[in-house]
Amino acid sequence: MASTRQTSQLTTQALRRAAGLAAVYVFLIFLLPANHAVMHAHHLSAVDYRTLLLALNLPTMVAWLAAFVGYAKLRQYVQLVRKTPEGLYFDKLATGLVWLAWSLPIPAIIALLLDSLANTWGSFYPAAVIIGNYTRLIFPLVAFSIIGVASRDLVSLAKIKLDFVSSRIIAVLFLGAGVLYCLLTFQHFNPASLTSTRNPYYLPIWLMVLTIIIPYLYTWFVGLLAAYEITLFSRQTHGVLYRQALRMLVLGLVVIIASSIALQYVRGVQPRVDHTTFDYHMVLSSIFHLIGGGGFVLLAIGAERLKKIEEV
Amino acid sequence: MPALPNYSLYEGVVRITRVYLGPAAGRFIDRQVENHLHKAPAELTPADLMVLIDWLKISVSHLTEDSEIVEEYVSELHKLADEQAKPKRGKGKS
Repeated sequence: MASTRQTSQLTTQALRRAAGLAAVYVFLIFLLPANHAVMHAHHLSAVDYRTLLLALNLPTMVAWLAAFVGYAKLRQYVQLVRKTPEGLYFDKLATGLVWLAWSLPIPAIIALLLDSLANTWGSFYPAAVIIGNYTRLIFPLVAFSIIGVASRDLVSLAKIKLDFVSSRIIAVLFLGAGVLYCLLTFQHFNPASLTSTRNPYYLPIWLMVLTIIIPYLYTWFVGLLAAYEITLFSRQTHGVLYRQALRMLVLGLVVIIASSIALQYVRGVQPRVDHTTFDYHMVLSSIFHLIGGGGFVLLAIGAERLKKIEEV
Repeated sequence: MPALPNYSLYEGVVRITRVYLGPAAGRFIDRQVENHLHKAPAELTPADLMVLIDWLKISVSHLTEDSEIVEEYVSELHKLADEQAKPKRGKGKS
């Protein structure tokens, strides 16, 4: 069993990483050249532009800190219960959350660099859009795949059967959101040509469907199902105090999954451009980041309570 | 002569604790016995029970501020302690 000192080091380490990534992000905001088109459109000086960009991204960076602390707290708990029957699955869950936490800063930093390169070399713009879109997809895809396996295993361990009505509600919710996503995405394409790359995604429609839309839909379905399965597991678990802590952790997890899906949805529907847009997408993105950060805080509180049960 | 190990007593304590701590109950009791009574959980005897209950009350109080839950838990443990004491008295009279 890991010592208390070893486990608390995880939080310090995670906080350092998040702070380091936030510092890199702030450094890049002030180092990379400002976008002249945006400065001109909003009548901003270079300093105004950078200050505004920093102010609008502050909630996002707070969410990064919460995310890193959240996964570190879960990792601390997992270190204490690794050898128990449910420990293996919580370990997988924590790994999925590590990917989800890293899915916040890494694509943001890459996007900032790509935007800057595209601003300097116009011919790089299509490549920047394509790389940016795949970077945003890959992290949640891996995260939700791992979380999905963990939640399935937890449900199997507890021998829980999925409720007929609830699984139908998930299917309808997924279908509704998926169809709307396809509708909003396809309106940017020319339906007369399946191979044309003259669209905001710079990909032919068939490649867009196969490598972006289907993976996103898969990710959301796995995410929704995982949220439901983990909720079921927390309801079926015995122990008043254990269940209270587990429910807090699960509530955090559900909020994280829901906000992550919403964030991917907003970003997926709105095609990427080579500069930061100061519009409602940015506001929505900040709101979902903060909600996700709140989810990670709940998860951290739940994990801390579960850890206390294993330490007292 | 030291009291003999009582496995059903250990299982009884874990069973009651499971209502509050679920799958963590066994590990919790093992820790309490090892850390506070300085013996292996399998060596738990009825003579240790009252001391253990006192420690369990303190430990569970660290986990919740709900005093009703703590009192309910302790009350269940005292019932177990009474059950353990009854057969002994019976044997003593015969």
